[in-house]
Amino acid sequence: MRIHQPPAGTRDLLPLEVAQKRWIADRIQGVFHQWGYQRIITSTLEWVEALTAGGAIHPSTVIQVENTSGGRLGLRPELTASIARAAATRMAGDVFPQRLYYNANVFRRTPGGNHGRQVEFFQTGVELLRAGGTRADREILLLLADCLGSLGLEGCSVILGEASLTRSLLNLFPPSDQGQVRACIAHLDRVGLTRLGLSTELEQLALLLFDLRGEPRTVLQKVSHLNLDQQGQQVVHNLKNLIERVEESASTRLSLILDLSLIQTIDYYTGVVFEVVCVQNQQSRVLGKGGRYDQLLGLYHPQGESAPGIGFALNLEEVYSCLLDSEQLPRSAPKTDWLVIPRDDQAEKAAFDYAQTLRHSEHLVRVELELGGRSPDEIRQYARLCNINRLAWIQADGKPEIEVLENAEY
Amino acid sequence: MITIALPKGALLQDSIDLFLQIGLDFRAFLDSSNRQLQITEPTQRATAMLVRAQDVPVYVEYGQAQLGIVGYDVLEEKSPQVAQLADLKFGGCRLSVAVPQESPYRRSVELPPHGRVASKFVQCARNYFRQLDLPVEIIPLYGSVELGPITGMSEAIVDLVSTGRTLKENGLVEIDVLFESTAYLIAHPLSYRLNPEGLGEWVQKLRENALCN
Repeated sequence: MRIHQPPAGTRDLLPLEVAQKRWIADRIQGVFHQWGYQRIITSTLEWVEALTAGGAIHPSTVIQVENTSGGRLGLRPELTASIARAAATRMAGDVFPQRLYYNANVFRRTPGGNHGRQVEFFQTGVELLRAGGTRADREILLLLADCLGSLGLEGCSVILGEASLTRSLLNLFPPSDQGQVRACIAHLDRVGLTRLGLSTELEQLALLLFDLRGEPRTVLQKVSHLNLDQQGQQVVHNLKNLIERVEESASTRLSLILDLSLIQTIDYYTGVVFEVVCVQNQQSRVLGKGGRYDQLLGLYHPQGESAPGIGFALNLEEVYSCLLDSEQLPRSAPKTDWLVIPRDDQAEKAAFDYAQTLRHSEHLVRVELELGGRSPDEIRQYARLCNINRLAWIQADGKPEIEVLENAEY
Repeated sequence: MITIALPKGALLQDSIDLFLQIGLDFRAFLDSSNRQLQITEPTQRATAMLVRAQDVPVYVEYGQAQLGIVGYDVLEEKSPQVAQLADLKFGGCRLSVAVPQESPYRRSVELPPHGRVASKFVQCARNYFRQLDLPVEIIPLYGSVELGPITGMSEAIVDLVSTGRTLKENGLVEIDVLFESTAYLIAHPLSYRLNPEGLGEWVQKLRENALCN
């Protein structure tokens, strides 16, 4: 017989896991609501060209679905591109700033063979659009801290970088070397940096740049000794303010690590960039990533008009893994409160009516109807197995007989 | 406590010597009666795990070890996402193309198009011949690659050469070098950024000691 399985890298979520993931998503969503963010739902299917317009997503990581005459279609590997597209077109005339959040599945292909590595992920995140400046940066970092706090996730680290500052520092290198220096730093390839054939002075600078990470004040102190242009100096000033303010007002303790080597070879970030990391049992997990992108919206605007944006995405699977030991996470799928049992076929209508009455109470009441074919003892056994502790036996005249199962587990 | 992945085989002795120089003693791995795969050094600051050289970057990439020592050849072959922090200079060898002594080929480019090349380094061999624009069939083997040409299965091999003795004893000659390889210090990128338990200081000490040797 043929066994049908889900495709490699995907999986089914059964009710308990759904209840646990909903718990996480609901907490985070509650925080998003408190901060005035509104949900947006974009299409799972996108044009590959639209997904990769920002340059940070390589087409090989997109699961392509169909090649049509209109172009190639693919499954979204993240939401930022989709939201930027929607915001730059249909929402362009709306008031600003726009505070949007999402909770959706994304798909990523591992180029070069898949050994069963996960391809479908669940993400929730925000985009704060048409708002520049450090106040918006601060809002996003504090919102992130608030989300982690709402889940009881203590002791997370935020690795914070600054794409424009790193760019300024790279500008100290001759243009012909910048690409290679950037690639070595992005991949943390220190040996590679020493093999580029840079002059002694530039190599020292490159190695200094490679090591620009750690306690924020110490790192900023080192940076201030470098020969930065005026724009670079302004960025250092803003970054200092941002770090101070975030450390002052974050309700959850976040340990900030300033890391100016936190860059990609190609990405759309133009300002602060960050990763949230949780370390448990010597295992470090990236819970989420984000950053400022002030050029991305322009790529989707019909007239190329740009607007600033900043956001982050949390990976629900990683958050879930960090919360597995937490006592707050639900340990069972929601249990049914009542089982309504018609005594005989004549009582069926009355049983349905009685169940409906129970359902219409002020708070959520979960009511199941017994579908027949088993004896009263079998019904009680079923109720015990499912932790249902209230049974309503209904007679044809509609009269209920309530039975409470004392030994039902909670 | 930091965890370090150490490679079994040729690089083990030098790796253990280097860690001993910075105060971490994993000499228990050298004891022939040792069967333990993981040991904690006497001062309880670090644990080392003994794994196959090819598996070192795997444990480091997935973060089960924060640091590892592995040959550059393995990094070239597997392209793992790890931080390459220092060339430790020991364990020198080279990845070379070799053919039987009586073979008419004296340069890689002279090999016949669609000829066969046996190798444990499938990716490196493939990239090398692609750069030469020479189409060859790579035959993946897991050991005793020299038997490829001896049995007539392949025209050439791509394999690691340190002294050249094995090649000579099997009647093979080296005709081209793909690259030179030495031992590298690698790190789990995220751990390196987070710098737990003074990881960066250990890295700095290892680098300084490697330069002195």
